[in-house]
Amino acid sequence: MSKEKLTIGEASKPRFEFRTFGRDFDNAAYLMSRLSVPVPRKVWERHSEEIYIVSKTNDVNNTKIRDGKMDIKTFVQEVDGLEQWNPLMKGEFPIKAEVLKNEVFPAFKVEGMPELTKDEYTLEEFLGMVNNHPDLQAVSVEKERYGYMVNDTICEYAVVYINGASIVTVNSESTEVEDIKRTISDLELDGVENINYLQAIKRVIGMTDKKLAN
Amino acid sequence: MVSTVQPRYEFRIFGNNLEKYETKINELSEKEMTRVMDSVYLLTPWKRKHNVKIREGVMDVKVLEHELDGLEQWNPFLVGKFPLKADVIKSVVFPALGIESPVFERKKYSLDQFVNEVVCIDPDLAVAYVWKTRHAYTVNDCITEIAEIKVNGASVKTICVESEDPEKVLEAKKMIGFGKDMENVNYPLALKRIMGLTKLPDYWNKIDF
Repeated sequence: MSKEKLTIGEASKPRFEFRTFGRDFDNAAYLMSRLSVPVPRKVWERHSEEIYIVSKTNDVNNTKIRDGKMDIKTFVQEVDGLEQWNPLMKGEFPIKAEVLKNEVFPAFKVEGMPELTKDEYTLEEFLGMVNNHPDLQAVSVEKERYGYMVNDTICEYAVVYINGASIVTVNSESTEVEDIKRTISDLELDGVENINYLQAIKRVIGMTDKKLAN
Repeated sequence: MVSTVQPRYEFRIFGNNLEKYETKINELSEKEMTRVMDSVYLLTPWKRKHNVKIREGVMDVKVLEHELDGLEQWNPFLVGKFPLKADVIKSVVFPALGIESPVFERKKYSLDQFVNEVVCIDPDLAVAYVWKTRHAYTVNDCITEIAEIKVNGASVKTICVESEDPEKVLEAKKMIGFGKDMENVNYPLALKRIMGLTKLPDYWNKIDF
C-alpha cells in the first residue's frame, strides 16, 4: 500500500499520533525546527482558544468547542504506543436537545443526564449544564502552536494555557506509524510517555493523580 | 495549634506576563533569597476563609481574618506534623475545609495515608501539587515575593506584597505599579481557577494574562 502524502493543515485519513506534555521540551522543539522541511506560512504560528469538556468517567471521547462549534473525537486504537482517534460528531451552537441527548452526553459516559426542557441550547446554557454536573468540567485551553513537518509527519510545538497556567507540548502525527516512530527517535523523545490532550488536562486540573512527562 | 507569625495583610496577583512589575521590584530592591519548595493544597469548590496546605510534612491552616482596602489579612496556625491524629484531622482540618468529616479507620495517619485514604476518595476534596521557586525582596518594608509556580505541572507566576501594616502594603502596591482595580487573588482562589473548581474571570482567560 502506498503512503498517503500528508499536507500540513489539510484533512487526511485518520492519523496516528504521538503527543506529550510537560514543562520543558526545548530540545525536541529545537530538533523539530532544524529537521523540518519548509511548511506553509499559515501553520508557522497559530493561536486558538478552546473549551474542552472533561469527564471523570471517560477517557475515550475527546470533546472540544472552538468558535461555537463542537467537535468530538473518539479513540479507535493504539499501535506501538501511538493513538488513533476518529471524528465522532461535529455540531454547532445553538445545538438541538436531541443531539445533546443522543450524541453529546452519551459521549461523556456519565450518569445523570440533565433534564432537557428546550428544543435547543446555546453554548452558555450547555456550559451551565456541564458545570452543574458533578462528573463534568469545562476547561479553558488556549494554544500558541508552531507547525513543522519532520519525516513526512505533521509536527508541532505548542505552549498551552490550561485555565491560565502554561505547559508545553510536542507532537508528531501521520497515517504512517513507522514515520512517527522515526520522528520520536529523531526528536530524542524515546521512552517519553504519550499523553493526549484529555489526559494532560485531567492531570493539570487534578482529575487524575498523575504527573506530566517532565 | 500555635500561631507562629503575626497576621499580615497581603496583596497577591497571578499571571504569565508580569514582567513590568518584576522589573519595578528589581529596581526597588535587591533579590535577598531564593527558595524552592513544594506544597500540597487541599481545596473544595466552595468559597472558604481557610487556606489548608501541607509543606514538608507539616499541615498548616491560614484563616482570612479581615479585609481592608482590598488587602487580605491571613492568620496562620500550625495543625501539626504528620503522622496526625484522626481526632485532629476531624476537629481541625475538616472544619477548616468546610466539609463533613468521614469515618476514620485509623487513629493516626501518615501523610501518604491521609492523601490516599482520606483526601483522594472524598468527592468534595481536590488536591493541588504546587512547586514554588520563591524570590524574596523588600519593598517599602514589606515582604515582597516573585515566584514561579507549577500547579500539577502547569506554570504560572505570582507576585505578593505583605506586611503587618496595611498602609505599607498599599504604598508598596503603588510603588510597584499595581493598579487600584487589580484583583487581589489568594492561593486557594488561584488554584481553584486553574483546576476549574470556580469560574474564570474574563481577564484571567486571556493569552496575555
